[in-house]
Amino acid sequence: MANKSVWSDNRFWQRTATWVTGFASVLLIWLTFDTSAQIAMGNDQDLQNKVTKRVPGPTVINYKITYEMSAKRGLEVPIIGGNDGKGNSLFQVKEKFFGRDDYSEDEARALLHLGKLGEQAKNCMDCHTLLGNGAYYAPDLTKAWLDPAWGPNGAMQALTGKNTREEAMAEFLQHPGQYPTHARMMPNLGITAKEAKGLVAFLKQMSSIDTNGFPRNFGKIKGAVNGK
Amino acid sequence: MFEAFTDVNPSFFGWLNQGPMTLTIFLHTVIILPMIWIYYQEKKRLENEN
Repeated sequence: MANKSVWSDNRFWQRTATWVTGFASVLLIWLTFDTSAQIAMGNDQDLQNKVTKRVPGPTVINYKITYEMSAKRGLEVPIIGGNDGKGNSLFQVKEKFFGRDDYSEDEARALLHLGKLGEQAKNCMDCHTLLGNGAYYAPDLTKAWLDPAWGPNGAMQALTGKNTREEAMAEFLQHPGQYPTHARMMPNLGITAKEAKGLVAFLKQMSSIDTNGFPRNFGKIKGAVNGK
Repeated sequence: MFEAFTDVNPSFFGWLNQGPMTLTIFLHTVIILPMIWIYYQEKKRLENEN
């Protein structure tokens, strides 16, 4: 009998498939647990102890959040409470959110929960993208809080007649029909003042999440990164 | 080829994702090298059977 090729031998392919499937299963189970730990939300203690978490605790809404280029990582990172000059958060500079910068962990958590429920009830993802999920019909909301359009020099504060980022955003959310800012106008979703506050808190906390520079095109908006 | 580890939290998967070569080398090490090993084992077995 002629020599049988290994490539047409069943046992070779069976052993290879067993090895690859087994190894990939172990790797993916490990990856699942590793990811769970990476994306677990921090708490107020972390912020007070100046611990950088990928997803900061709810009380991050008490702090000033900026988006700055990290030379070390080669991408933009959210900076919480001021920059130490090396691209790390200082967790010191506070910023008033609807007139307060002393939200307790429970208050902030309740606000974010309300925002999350609102985001789900109003189906924001029908048009917008949040953290990579949703549609691209309307602007990406992942870093919406940091968009200079809502800032002191942006158009939205003048348009809505409000003096702060959060008030301008809340006003827009309640009466989007009055502020036609986009060819694809946002519909009036009947968002109440309380819901709008929760939604803005939700957006502010989301902007503080370290998304490894995603969405990549956000940095191209004038004024979005390092205030430039 | 290898870049400095710069992710927020140190992690094995963060290390794997640092550059284009790191994942490639890792997967070749754990998939292709054992396949070569299995190949020669099976070749030897077939030769012995003949």
